[in-house]
Amino acid sequence: MQESPRSPIAVRMIDLAQPLSSITGLSRYTAVRIFLRRADRLLGTFDLLTDGAEAVSVERLRLAIAADFGTRLFKEELARTLGASSPEPAAAPVAAARPHAVSIIVPTCERPDDLRRCLESLSAQTTRHSIEIVVVDNKPSSASAANVAGAFPLVNLVTESRPGLSYARNAGIAAASGEIIVTTDDDVVAPSDWIEHLIAPFYRAEVLCVTGNVLPLELETESQRQFEVYGGLGKGYTPREFNRSWFRAQRDGVPTWDIGATANAAFRASCFRDPAIGLLDEALGAGTPTGCSEDTYLFYRILKNGGTIVYLPSTYVWHRHRPSMRSLRHQVHAYSKGHVAYHLTTLMREGDRRALWRLATLPKVHLQRIWHRLRGWSDYPIPITLIEIAGNLAGPFALWRSRRRVRRLKPSTRLQPAAADEDTPRLDSDPEHAHAVPLESPLSQGPTA
Amino acid sequence: MKLLTIDVERHLPDIEAPATGEQWVLVRLHQDPLGILKFTGAGCSSAELATIIADKFAHRIMRHLGGDRAVWRGMGELRSPCPRLAGYRRPKVTVAVCTRDGSERIGECLEALVGLRYAPELLELLVIDNAPRDESTRELVDQHYPSIRYVREPRPGLNWARNRAIIEARGEIVAYTDDDVSVDPGWVDAIARIFAEEPEADAVTGLVVPDEMDVEAQRLFESYGGFGRGFDRRYFRVNTRAGVLTSPIYGGTGQFGTGANMAFRRSAFARVGVFDPALDVGTPTNGGGDLDLFFRVLKAGRMLVYEPAATVRHRHRRTFEQLHTQLANNGIGFYAYLVRTAEAYRDERSAVVRFGIYWFFWWNVRRLLVSFFQPSLFPRDLILAELRGCFIGLGRYRSSKAVAENVRQTFGPQSAGVDAL
Repeated sequence: MQESPRSPIAVRMIDLAQPLSSITGLSRYTAVRIFLRRADRLLGTFDLLTDGAEAVSVERLRLAIAADFGTRLFKEELARTLGASSPEPAAAPVAAARPHAVSIIVPTCERPDDLRRCLESLSAQTTRHSIEIVVVDNKPSSASAANVAGAFPLVNLVTESRPGLSYARNAGIAAASGEIIVTTDDDVVAPSDWIEHLIAPFYRAEVLCVTGNVLPLELETESQRQFEVYGGLGKGYTPREFNRSWFRAQRDGVPTWDIGATANAAFRASCFRDPAIGLLDEALGAGTPTGCSEDTYLFYRILKNGGTIVYLPSTYVWHRHRPSMRSLRHQVHAYSKGHVAYHLTTLMREGDRRALWRLATLPKVHLQRIWHRLRGWSDYPIPITLIEIAGNLAGPFALWRSRRRVRRLKPSTRLQPAAADEDTPRLDSDPEHAHAVPLESPLSQGPTA
Repeated sequence: MKLLTIDVERHLPDIEAPATGEQWVLVRLHQDPLGILKFTGAGCSSAELATIIADKFAHRIMRHLGGDRAVWRGMGELRSPCPRLAGYRRPKVTVAVCTRDGSERIGECLEALVGLRYAPELLELLVIDNAPRDESTRELVDQHYPSIRYVREPRPGLNWARNRAIIEARGEIVAYTDDDVSVDPGWVDAIARIFAEEPEADAVTGLVVPDEMDVEAQRLFESYGGFGRGFDRRYFRVNTRAGVLTSPIYGGTGQFGTGANMAFRRSAFARVGVFDPALDVGTPTNGGGDLDLFFRVLKAGRMLVYEPAATVRHRHRRTFEQLHTQLANNGIGFYAYLVRTAEAYRDERSAVVRFGIYWFFWWNVRRLLVSFFQPSLFPRDLILAELRGCFIGLGRYRSSKAVAENVRQTFGPQSAGVDAL
């Protein structure tokens, strides 16, 4: 927030499993944001101020890593040394999971360059699973998506003329043939081992959904940097697990936005056929008056029905944040509208009265933010808070308009439950699965460690 | 007592109780200084010392070894050689000691120089004798130190001597130290390593620790700020290409180090110019020559690195009067440097003026006010000496320029090459 508008930040990934090498090509940047991984595990991130220097030497990089991660690397090394005599841990479940048929749904709306980059990365996946890519063109009147998709043999192009991200995703899900549905966006670039890791936790029957980390592809413009300050799309570097006991433990509203985002998520296809969970709510999501929250409401229903959601911090994709300030403000406004719409939906559809508490405390949250900013305790910008307040106030009306719109456009066709789907776990009849699984249990680290 | 240097990867000694003053111990790991332990009354056994080191420096040691882990496959064990101290392309280094009539005190300095751990064929040692009154320093060098070259610079003024070193130097790197300093055996190696790693670095400064802690004046100097600038390596650079001004960020160039421990890439002098003969000891300004060059390196958009592993030991002044003069000169030299900077860089002028005013209040006036509430912290007359120096320094640069011009007239240009720079 305090950088001048002319201070682009470079983004780099460093793998400690490889020998360190210097970072070059930085003369345009004031800093470099480094994401640190070791083999399959993402350790975290830090910024290194370069002030226009062309390169960061290996020695300087080592020093910066030591400053932020040295203690942790030492502790891990020490633990490894102490445990050297104990037997090797069990083989990683990545290899143990059986191959699945995976459908990747990519809704797109007139962003041919982003879509091409996205499809290139998806086509380059190295995985044992069979992959089908479903591109949903949400604006079929222009042929831009069709032109791009035609160049990729794996891609199955579907059109959905009713505007709205939920309509588009639902159309993609209906057209998908895979037993696992992976959702992503057209402004995402995925590393080549993405699918392999994202699918891994499904070897556990109770896992209905897996989410992953979302990192910024670039931080060239002020709005892209501010979006990361605002929270970005990533959910941190700690593995987490969400289940029914977590769902029940929440006091004021269920914060399913902490779980992840549909830019990087995988679902069992059976979820969408289950009448208790169903498809994405067409009244929520980008392209509708409410702006977002279709994913949070889906997570809500999955958890409510006893499913488990696993967050994999190390399974990341790169997301290109919108580069203009106008679109950032628009996005923040949409998030705030969608936030209220989500709580109202859980209140009205699911009768969840905890939502009321959350809505009642929103003014306090905003006032506190402004107060902290004025006192200099935080650098959360007041204009952003004002946009959020405006968005919150617009939320109920937006939801009403959105519902009317869905009645006019007709909802997506519901999917029929498959007759004999061995992947559909009967959780409600199995008290064992409703049991509390401790958060951040070593088990939850398994697939990526 | 003389400062002890302990490498934790080696055997730890017992610390004896200090006979005079305080016993300071510099603790290092793989050449990297971790910190200083101070023993005022009693000493301690090696076992107790180990406990103290583990207690105080566990975090730094872990960080260091964890960092080793980032470049090295395998546990960075304490007692195995540090993976970072592997070979690199060693540049030729010229070490220059500038002195004037220093034959009595320079012995320890020269002993340390010949003890430097660096390939002898890549190391050139110079003593620049600045307008000496007699031949004693020449005789000392010629008789006892055949590996050191003695050069005489007749123009009086430290910066004339420093410029003479640039003319004489045959190394890619010119490292400067003073005649009251003993360099660590690994000093040149640490400096050369940074220059080899960082092609953009034009200047490297290092840690200065007190050589001895015997008398009150020496302790006072350390508590006043001393010469040390911490135990963490730091990289400084200003994005001048993007139009960022240097003085608002790094106007206080004293934070980078001091002339007793600094080194420059020889080619940098062609970029930023040589030392200003109107500054530093031997002229009316009495200081600021080092600060000025640090500033100019950053102003040229090049990098300056503070590398604590390049450690030297400085014998602080022993008497109160000497300390008084030194602190007054600090104020004079610093403000002379600011005046020079404001004169030399039009774009920085208003920022330098603002910085000068801010510094006066933040450093001098604030400390003066504190001294009324906590008189025991630091003697007020020393604070006042530096405060007065600030005002004196404002006028000194002008008169000093005239003196330097006078010297140039009397002795002729130092060298066509250097004067043109």
